[in-house]
Amino acid sequence: MPVYVDISRCIGCRSCEVACKRVHGGSGHVNVHFAGDNASVPVFCHHCEEASCTMACFTQALHKVGERTAFDVEKCTGCGLCRLACPFGVVWTDKIAHKCDLCEGRETPACVLTCPANALSLDFELASRRARARAALVAAHGGRR
Amino acid sequence: MIKVDEKKCLGCFSCSNVCPSQNITRTETPELRSVHWKRCKEECDLCVEFCPAKALTLVPYDESCPEPTLSFDLVACKICGSRYATEPMLKRIESSLPANLQKDSTGLDWIWVCPVCRRNIEAERATKQMVLGRSRKSP
Ligand code: SF4
Ligand code: SF4
Ligand code: SF4
Ligand code: SF4
Repeated sequence: MPVYVDISRCIGCRSCEVACKRVHGGSGHVNVHFAGDNASVPVFCHHCEEASCTMACFTQALHKVGERTAFDVEKCTGCGLCRLACPFGVVWTDKIAHKCDLCEGRETPACVLTCPANALSLDFELASRRARARAALVAAHGGRR
Repeated sequence: MIKVDEKKCLGCFSCSNVCPSQNITRTETPELRSVHWKRCKEECDLCVEFCPAKALTLVPYDESCPEPTLSFDLVACKICGSRYATEPMLKRIESSLPANLQKDSTGLDWIWVCPVCRRNIEAERATKQMVLGRSRKSP
């Protein structure tokens, strides 16, 4: 259950980056990227079902707990293998590893709460409902997007 | 004292990170990473326990034994050319992942691409449809 992004809503303000840093002692786990000047998207952990980072971690510091890819700081040696094993480049290792922890211990993730454009949500259904609604609108306007 | 098997060592950050007495040091230049093991007298085997490659063993202290240093050329990213990892570490990733996870949907061997470029690719992939839609809309 990662945080889902509705890319068409993202305004590239980087508020999620700042929010994530604020609640994680200065090290952020999300990067906002820009596609030319047309679009922007936050890039962060997908909490993959088959998570390469957990397969590379030799201490099981990174491990699956249900749908989450969880991290046990006590077990991490900071070896740096997970940083190289994530296909999306969203684990960092400075002395120890860090990545999106879905704001463990908080009711709602900081990035979701903060995003002023409502681009982030924990609800996959909501994201896909909105996408379907947009598709329907497009169809209603003669297929022109 | 610590003995290192140079055929097994990955050139990772583990032993130098876990050593409580700074007996293992790491130096890094943009092209090269070196790890240096001092002749250690501690009764501690944290580094041995936490080496992912099992490259370290405890041996009796021997004054005459030279202090080993291993140096690793850093591999250049296939896309941007920046040096980002040691080759043994990347090979280790290859051997820990099933083959179907080692190529992305476009057939790219992403292991040989640096994390920054991986994030850029992910962002491009995610925004592609959107950007197409928006550019069609603009006059
Ligand atoms: S860190 Fe990377 S590999 Fe691990 S679960 Fe997140 S996206 Fe997947
Ligand atoms: S840096 Fe930590 S979490 Fe990452 S692979 Fe090494 S021990 Fe595991
Ligand atoms: S869920 Fe929390 S840890 Fe994950 S990106 Fe959002 S703010 Fe950062
Ligand atoms: S922990 Fe093992 S593999 Fe990593 S640098 Fe030390 S000896 Fe080499």
